Amino acid sequence: MGHQQPLFERAEAGRMRVHVLPTDRFKTCAISVFVGRPLSDEEVTPAALIPFVLRRGTERHPETKRFREELDRLYGAGFGFDIFKRGNHHIVQFRLEIIDDRFVSGEANLLRQALALLGQVMTRPALEDGVFIKKYVDAEKNTLRSKLEAVINDKIRYAYERCTALTFPDDPFRHHALGRLEKLQELDVQSLFAFYRRWLSDSQIDMYVVGNTSTEAVLDAVKAEFFLESAADSPLPYRFVPPETRGERRARTITDRMDVTQGKLNIGLVTPVLRSDPRYPAMLLYNGVLGGYPHSKLFTNVREKANLAYYVSSRYDGFKGFVMIQTGIEIANRDKALGLIEEQLEDMRAGRIEEAEIDRTKTLIVSQLKETADSPFAMIAFDFNASITGSAGSIGELIGEVSSVTAGQIAEAARQVRPEVIYFLRDRKEE
Amino acid sequence: MERKRYERLDETLYREKLPNGLEVCLLPKPGFSKTYAMFSARFGSVDSRYRLGAGDETQVPDGAAHFLEHKLFEDPEGNTFARFADRGASVNAFTTFDRTSYLFSATEELEANTEHLLDMVQQPYFTDENVEKEKGIIGQEIRMYQDDPEWRAFFGLIESLYAFHPVRIDIAGTVESISAIGKETLYDLHRTFYHPGNMLLFMAGGFDPEQVMRLVRANQERKVFPATPDVRRILPEEPDRVVRKEAEISLDVSMPKCKFGFKEPAGGLSPEEKLRRELTTALVLDLIFGQSASIYQTLYDEKLITDQFGYEYDIGPGYAFSVIGGDTPDPGRLIGRVRELIGALLDSGIDADEFERVKRKRIGGYLRKLNSPEGIASEFTRYRFMGIDYFELLPVLERITLRDAERRLGEHVNWDRSAVFVVRPKEAP
Repeated sequence: MGHQQPLFERAEAGRMRVHVLPTDRFKTCAISVFVGRPLSDEEVTPAALIPFVLRRGTERHPETKRFREELDRLYGAGFGFDIFKRGNHHIVQFRLEIIDDRFVSGEANLLRQALALLGQVMTRPALEDGVFIKKYVDAEKNTLRSKLEAVINDKIRYAYERCTALTFPDDPFRHHALGRLEKLQELDVQSLFAFYRRWLSDSQIDMYVVGNTSTEAVLDAVKAEFFLESAADSPLPYRFVPPETRGERRARTITDRMDVTQGKLNIGLVTPVLRSDPRYPAMLLYNGVLGGYPHSKLFTNVREKANLAYYVSSRYDGFKGFVMIQTGIEIANRDKALGLIEEQLEDMRAGRIEEAEIDRTKTLIVSQLKETADSPFAMIAFDFNASITGSAGSIGELIGEVSSVTAGQIAEAARQVRPEVIYFLRDRKEE
Repeated sequence: MERKRYERLDETLYREKLPNGLEVCLLPKPGFSKTYAMFSARFGSVDSRYRLGAGDETQVPDGAAHFLEHKLFEDPEGNTFARFADRGASVNAFTTFDRTSYLFSATEELEANTEHLLDMVQQPYFTDENVEKEKGIIGQEIRMYQDDPEWRAFFGLIESLYAFHPVRIDIAGTVESISAIGKETLYDLHRTFYHPGNMLLFMAGGFDPEQVMRLVRANQERKVFPATPDVRRILPEEPDRVVRKEAEISLDVSMPKCKFGFKEPAGGLSPEEKLRRELTTALVLDLIFGQSASIYQTLYDEKLITDQFGYEYDIGPGYAFSVIGGDTPDPGRLIGRVRELIGALLDSGIDADEFERVKRKRIGGYLRKLNSPEGIASEFTRYRFMGIDYFELLPVLERITLRDAERRLGEHVNWDRSAVFVVRPKEAP
């Protein structure tokens, strides 16, 4: 098979799992460290704040400016972090992208220097009196607060977050990955530092490196530069549970008002099918035929035929068992658009899907899976997602499974998908 | 076909100018599964007034270039997206101030997908009906941007900077301006600006360049084009001064958004001068507002900016400006502090170590982009249309001196040619 993935080499360094893919195909070396733990009402806020505080400085470079200069010296290093939810796990991903030594003259082992810096950031933060520096904690609380408040600025994103929260009202999944505004004030330097120690000792930690290096070199650097203590209890494993199905009932309808010129219509749906489920490939097809692409039913009918929208799509989250449909429309067209979307959902359930729709969706999914191999970070994401969900298969195997999904299996998957919330964000004018 | 090797970057580019004027540039990426193709016209939202030869001047409705981009996806069967999908290609397009690009990404059926992209763009199919239906779709795209505070702040600032230059007009136009667009407008624009002589095909991926070039040649030989039209783009006289120093709107936002920028004279520069100016200005802005800069850190510590603070510099036909800013609790104080801090920097001069470090960071940023066919395609095309070879950037960047940066800082930061635009939160109803 031409699309056989090169395999990651696996090793352990203390309590960190290390995954290395030696290759000279890229001009850079990509590094990611994932720190994951169960998502909870109590911990989501401090866990979100941690990386913000860590980026302020290290023991060696406690001043933020010096730390940032160090990154510049490593040719920018592409340092950053992301905070996201994978099902009911809260994950912080630290990223670095280091230029391969062969492209910059007179440099020796930028990768080793970068790993040393990352080890410092994660495990040797700048401290005062044995805890985080108060000035940094205060400033980053302020940053996080403005980020959480700013969710309303981007109305597409706001509607997405709001509809998610409404779909999972009693579940920690309702929280924004950046935490809870109302809990931010409660965090002080002491409690945050105590939490950080726990976060470091009992979270799952996975390091990925893709580039011109070897597992030995990475292990050697990690052992010398990361200071991870073992926890009294072993970290809680990644576990993914399908959303509760609460019997037959109608979707709830919720409307918010804001000063907007365009209405945002979002539909939150749930499915018991997760990434490790044998029906997962059928769910990928379901989402693709329904709304994943410009040839999909939603785009074709809502945009191209009825001209009601510029964007209209569906998105499937296989970690949570969650489907979101989203579109932006003229406020007066809400019922018309909703009617059309419901028709598409009904067609999916009834199996009114043409062979051509299935074939082209398969072709496109397969093509996108193959593209994974062209991007170091995409390869890292695929492997990490597969490994935490216990989905053993390689990209090649998933391609095989996608290719063999039948129309009947897609309709069967469709019948498992249930609308929970119909959300509309509209203007303040009375009707 | 001409072959050019860039030893330092470990890249090889194949280039050919076809008899009909089309320029084709191919960058093989051995080992890559996908191919990324970008077919671009040197035609964007600022090309709204022109004259053909000695003919009359034509003024096109605002948003016409972007409208044309949407409509080229139309074919008599009405299933462009499906046909690309059948061959595993994801297809898209975008319009900027000075170009329009059509692109696909695919791991197989490279030949069929490439031909389809060329034919889609070169064989328009406009009808009264399909033009009319697009007005509803683009109308919603415009409304979407109307509700986007970032976009509003960006164009709010440019409208304050520019009095007449069409860069001040939203790329998609307005609901009113696009209502005047009909299929004749689109055919005229297509004939005028989508002539092969005004276009570039760039492809990067795991292909054999000889084979792809043969395919493109054969495809083009099958088509008949008139002689390259003699298009004279007309830009209005734009004064050096700005329209207004300050302006604001209110929207449903959590915190004021403040953008400020400097307008510069843009005429009379050679491509090399433009490039040097662009790279030096970006370096200077990074020295002031990058995350390792003292000024950035001071503003952040004073809680006047958030980590979303950003900056950009754009130079194109008849325009050159910076856009700087982000969310701030106090726009007035932010601007006051920025003026003080930059004033102090102008007095003290740029620190030599700091200069070298930021230069390294920018060299790293450039090299990192070379990993991604998408990133390369878009940058290569932009620079090629400027008359610059993207793969020759590194030496230019490396040759920038501290003195160059200081001179640029003094030239660019001219508060007489600056404007501030603020998006304020709405009062609670």
